[in-house]
Amino acid sequence: MSLLVFFTVGLGLWHFTVFFPDRFWGGIVGALVGATVGAVLSGAIAQAASGRSVGETDIATVAFALPGTALGLAAIWLLGARREDAPTN
Amino acid sequence: MGSRRRTYIVLAVVAILIALSALAIVNKPTRLGLDLQGGTELVYQGRATPANPTIEPDDVDRALNIIRDRVDTLGVAEPEISRIGEDQISVGLPEVQNAQQAVEQVGQTSQLAFYDFEPNVIPPDPKLNSPESRPFNRLYDAVKAAQEQEPECFEKNGEPLCTHEGQFYLFDEATLEPLAGPAKVKEDLFFGFEDDKQPPGSIIEEIPQGSVILREEEPPDDLNTEVDESSLTPQGWFLLRDRPELTGDDIRNPEQATDQFTNQPNVTFEFTDEGRKAFQEVTRRIAERGLERSAGALLSAEEAANASDSFAVVLDGEIVSRPIINFVENPSGIDGRTGAQISGNFTIQQAQDLAEFLRIGALPIELSLISQSTVSATLGQQALDDAILAGVGGLVLVILFLLFYYRFLGAVAALGLAVYALFFLAMIKVIPITLTLPGIAGLILTIGVAADSNVVIFERIKEEVRSGRSMLSAISQGYRKGIATIIDANVITLITAFVLFVLATAGVKGFAFTLGIGTIVSLFTAVLFTQAVLAVLGRSHFLNSPRFLGARERRMRTDFDFSGMSRYFFAASGIILLTGAFAFAGKGLNLGIDFESGTRIQTTLSKEVTPDELRVALSDAGIDGMEGAEVQEVQEEDAAQSGFQIQAKILPEQAPDVKPILDEAFGVEDFSNNTIGPTFGEQLAKSAVIALIFSLLVISGYVAIRFEAKYAIPILIALVHDILLAGGAYALMGFEVNSATVAAFLTILGYSIYDTVIVFDRIRENVPRMPRAAFSQIVNRSMSEVLVRSLITGLATVFLLTMILLFGDETLRGFALAMMLGIASGTYSSIFIAAPVLTEWKEREHAYRDRRRQIEETMGYVPVFPEQNVVARLGDGESDDPIAHEPVPQEPGSDVERTEEPTGDSGAYPSQSRTPSQPGRRKQTRRQRKKGG
Repeated sequence: MSLLVFFTVGLGLWHFTVFFPDRFWGGIVGALVGATVGAVLSGAIAQAASGRSVGETDIATVAFALPGTALGLAAIWLLGARREDAPTN
Repeated sequence: MGSRRRTYIVLAVVAILIALSALAIVNKPTRLGLDLQGGTELVYQGRATPANPTIEPDDVDRALNIIRDRVDTLGVAEPEISRIGEDQISVGLPEVQNAQQAVEQVGQTSQLAFYDFEPNVIPPDPKLNSPESRPFNRLYDAVKAAQEQEPECFEKNGEPLCTHEGQFYLFDEATLEPLAGPAKVKEDLFFGFEDDKQPPGSIIEEIPQGSVILREEEPPDDLNTEVDESSLTPQGWFLLRDRPELTGDDIRNPEQATDQFTNQPNVTFEFTDEGRKAFQEVTRRIAERGLERSAGALLSAEEAANASDSFAVVLDGEIVSRPIINFVENPSGIDGRTGAQISGNFTIQQAQDLAEFLRIGALPIELSLISQSTVSATLGQQALDDAILAGVGGLVLVILFLLFYYRFLGAVAALGLAVYALFFLAMIKVIPITLTLPGIAGLILTIGVAADSNVVIFERIKEEVRSGRSMLSAISQGYRKGIATIIDANVITLITAFVLFVLATAGVKGFAFTLGIGTIVSLFTAVLFTQAVLAVLGRSHFLNSPRFLGARERRMRTDFDFSGMSRYFFAASGIILLTGAFAFAGKGLNLGIDFESGTRIQTTLSKEVTPDELRVALSDAGIDGMEGAEVQEVQEEDAAQSGFQIQAKILPEQAPDVKPILDEAFGVEDFSNNTIGPTFGEQLAKSAVIALIFSLLVISGYVAIRFEAKYAIPILIALVHDILLAGGAYALMGFEVNSATVAAFLTILGYSIYDTVIVFDRIRENVPRMPRAAFSQIVNRSMSEVLVRSLITGLATVFLLTMILLFGDETLRGFALAMMLGIASGTYSSIFIAAPVLTEWKEREHAYRDRRRQIEETMGYVPVFPEQNVVARLGDGESDDPIAHEPVPQEPGSDVERTEEPTGDSGAYPSQSRTPSQPGRRKQTRRQRKKGG
């Protein structure tokens, strides 16, 4: 159940990326990958660190996915921005 | 073949099929599932035995045949016995309400074993091996003693003799009272406890192979007294070395008889040649031991009886009788030629059943009951009536809606739907399809699919009529353009149905089968048949009047900036999904017994009973797991009766025991129950997830091939959005998720893709027609063209689902609720999630980036629709759109000059002559473009 929560948080937050300039690597789909993978990874790490099982969830479980989503989106955005700024031959 | 000739052939074929269908409907019976006619369904899982360490297909087939023979003795008409997967067997017993008897007769392993008792019994204290000191008073002590024995398995003629490979027991750590067992796997011990986990304060003990713990036989019932002797003397436990001398395979011709001395029912039988030798050998050995012990003393037969050793007859792990071998009467043992008898405290029925089981033979594998459900005939009939009402009501509503909206075309669609209903009903009877509640849900849904095929085509026809085509030409074009969309959408539905049928469990299979068949039939009736009808009527007065077609004017203005506004809808979706995430985390999904395992009972009691009285009666019944039962009162029509829904964690084999208890306490008018064991629940959940993932993969593959890979990703995103949105709503509202919900979710998946494919199909079609438009403009134009269709189809399906919600039973209502959410979400996500994602993604492509830049440089902004590019630039009211449109080729054979209808709404539908010579306009446009950059 916690994986479902993490994924849903990532997907939910991804919807707000349309308000940012589209410089994500791979565009909106790249942003989706960054948000959901980041959410699931950070959620899983935080869940494991808290010593709770995969099925054990509460409201705080949502928070576990937030840093990963932000980091995932930032990483994809930076990657995209660097590629755009790179001089083309 | 000429089109007219083809039309008449289609009509002739339909006429013949209508006649044949009518014949089939009148003459063939409808096969109803257990949920509609009442009956009992048992699902067993095969478990390996030492004799069969792995379950081979042959073992399951032999078990199926033996079960079929056993069911025949129950006198059940048309039982449905089938294999599920590799090692499960489903037994459907129509009209059987006595689930207790069915469970006893169908799945009992009937493993008969004969033990030479004295040399194999291990007493609590080896020094005190008197008959009185042999049983253990507590099971726990017997288990501990068994653990001290060396693991072993004796063989006879190369065959293992032991009856198990190790067994587990669960005890209360403080009192050492048994809580569960024996079980072959530890997890089976925990069923009925919280979360199916080992309860706190309990311990698990395992006994090794080679030892067997058997419950002591009941003392013989004295028929002259009314006292039940077994209740006076507590039964102990024997620990034996697991070395049976004979098994059920060594006997033949078992029959129920009556003991000539006690008048008690017993079972007599003969031995096979091998069994006779083994029987004589073991009884001789027993007699010799008695003789040896008497040390040659001359004893009477009565005196010898007290000193003789015995022979334990064990049936399915319990000693049923322990006859002595009197060494005075039978010094050389007993010659097996005259057969033998099994005596126990049998009733006549029990003795008859045992004889029958021994005659048919023991099951080659051990069967564990993992699911049991009984539906009363009353409840089944009620469910059928409700489903028919919902189906007919839904059909009528859809027809009325189509008539209202499409007028004459609606009448043709109604005719198509009526023919569809007739054909489908005939197919149900001819194939025959067993109609179940989920199957009826699938059937009702296919009415929506059939109606949608017409909606897609009629919207096309109306577009063509508005653009000035003649009716015959519009019909021809409408079907030609619509057919590709319909085939794509229906192939997707068929893929979903196929995946569900192959991977999902029984209830969902029925749904998938009817959905699949219905989709194929609807393709025939909604496309071929209605086209033929319209071709014949194409020259009639009605069809040549746009007023009769509802095509006179566009009622709905759809000049909406879908792409531009999508970010706000995106944000709204994000908020809804985040709310769903909080609901998943905080409340979780309310998984029903289908996944969590347990029992649900619906009963009507003939007395007025309060829930507390019922709770007390259930707690006192002595059934494990009934103490924590949830009891909910249900309104009954008859005020003198009480209706209840009871939910508890009890084992499938215990569920049938509830009915007699309630009947004795309060009188049972009606009783239905559904019990899912933990194994079956896990399997349901697993098959649902596999079906979901597999459907997504196959459908993505299809979309990638038919469209392009980039179209598949937005479809997947929209799907995940819809499933999570519906799931989040379920979590938030606390609605129960059961197998019907899973079927509904999987249908949402099909529906959502269906809807998105129709939108994407129009985008794909418009892309080459608008070679200079920005992708967002193409999407906006495409959406405005298909929005009406999406809304009409959504509304038609909502009508159907409303009828199910109003008239369907609980299962169908749960299904309809999930579908309602899914359809709202599916329609929304096709327009506001899938298409904008595709737009964002495609706009990154160089070609579309260049187009956008070009338009922006020319006009300073990108208009909403492609035709506005020119209108905005010219600003002179003269409207042509060479940037947006390529000239539409003249329809071959058409005698009409095409002219698109002017709407006067900001030039969204500019008038456009399709005559080939317009050099002035083209020149002007080129000049303008050059001027603009």
